[in-house]
Amino acid sequence: MSEGTATIRTRKFMTNRLLCRKQMVVDVLHPGKATLQKTEIREKLARMYKTTPDLIFCFGFRTQFGGGKSTGFALVYDTLDYAKKFEPKFRLARQGLYEKPVRPGRKQRKEKKNRVKKVRGTKKASVGNPKKAAA
Amino acid sequence: MDGDLEKATALLQDIQAKCQDSTNHVNDLCKRAVAWEFNTSKGISFLEVKYQMLLSYLVNLTYLMLRKAGGQSIHGDETVLRLVEIRTVLEKMRPIDQKLKYQVDKVVRLAATGGAASDDPMRFKANPDSLESKLASDSEEGSDSEDDDDQSSKLYKPPKLAAVHYDGDETVLEKKQKQVESQRKRALSSAILQDLKEQYHDGPTEIREAKDMHRLKATKMMMEKERYEEDNFMRLPMSKKERQNQKQLAGMSSLNSVTYFGSFNPLDLEEGGGEGFSNKRRKMDKSKGKSKKGGKKKGFKKKRRH
Repeated sequence: MSEGTATIRTRKFMTNRLLCRKQMVVDVLHPGKATLQKTEIREKLARMYKTTPDLIFCFGFRTQFGGGKSTGFALVYDTLDYAKKFEPKFRLARQGLYEKPVRPGRKQRKEKKNRVKKVRGTKKASVGNPKKAAA
Repeated sequence: MDGDLEKATALLQDIQAKCQDSTNHVNDLCKRAVAWEFNTSKGISFLEVKYQMLLSYLVNLTYLMLRKAGGQSIHGDETVLRLVEIRTVLEKMRPIDQKLKYQVDKVVRLAATGGAASDDPMRFKANPDSLESKLASDSEEGSDSEDDDDQSSKLYKPPKLAAVHYDGDETVLEKKQKQVESQRKRALSSAILQDLKEQYHDGPTEIREAKDMHRLKATKMMMEKERYEEDNFMRLPMSKKERQNQKQLAGMSSLNSVTYFGSFNPLDLEEGGGEGFSNKRRKMDKSKGKSKKGGKKKGFKKKRRH
């Protein structure tokens, strides 16, 4: 038993037509081993529901006290477009479907705002970072 | 043809001689029967019925044989029906006869030996007199003495020795085997395997409520939280206080042995269970790292070392 593969069971399965997905609670039984990786769980679920693993988003896995069993959630989308539309950005980022736009730090943003405040009209757009250049 | 004729005559003479003998014998018996030598009034009436039936069966059979020997047909004769009836009765009596066999044997033995032997195991039956309580007689005798005695004899005195399982006769090997067996049993009935069993079980699932009296409130809150989380597909954040409470619940009061769901080594057939796990703490897998129920910060895993 300790060398067998883990077992996945789904509970509370629901087809959410409004969000074009199927959502379920996932129970993973893995006696003698550590909690399964999310990628592995996604692959197993893909086999179960006959889709590709990139349409499956799973999260919230908590292992029960003592080990051997963990419970989490999984969403299986109909298409990737719907997934990109409805899924929160951080979960997309976990799977590499979204890159967070890198922006200047908080302090920079606030300083820029204050500089922009001083100027009126179309000159606001060309504020840039003159102070930094000057300093 | 001649040989056959000789054989036939020899047989016929034989028949004649034997008939003579049997008639003599039967006449003798009849004389003795008339003289009341065979008194069966004190015998087992069941057996009497049996041999009367047998007798009438024989009589009917001889009548049929007579008719056949005389060349007459026995088709549709009443005798046949009578025979069938007697035969059925005899068949029905056979199982009863079997059941009575023991009694009959006993009686016969008694009659043969003329009295039970001293070491006959049949004499060792329960003696109801000895089952009578002696206390009643005691209290009656002691009624003249003081009242204290009377009360003390009625007071229940528990036995001073408690029965304990004696394991002095078990060898070390046997003890180890027993340990392995009990571990295997425990591993088989662990929660995880019960879940798997339930999954493949055809019948309805049983939901048993186990109310731990010490943690009613906490359990109720936890169940509510679980239900909410699963209904809304989210994980509720835990405050520091809640986390500490859970640590306390799961840690101190529930000893290591309770939360040790065990490795499945006992179920490994090749290893044969390995050495007995006498000290569970020692065998706790360090690499497993016990994670808390819920309340786990991302990237922060607390490993318990024992």
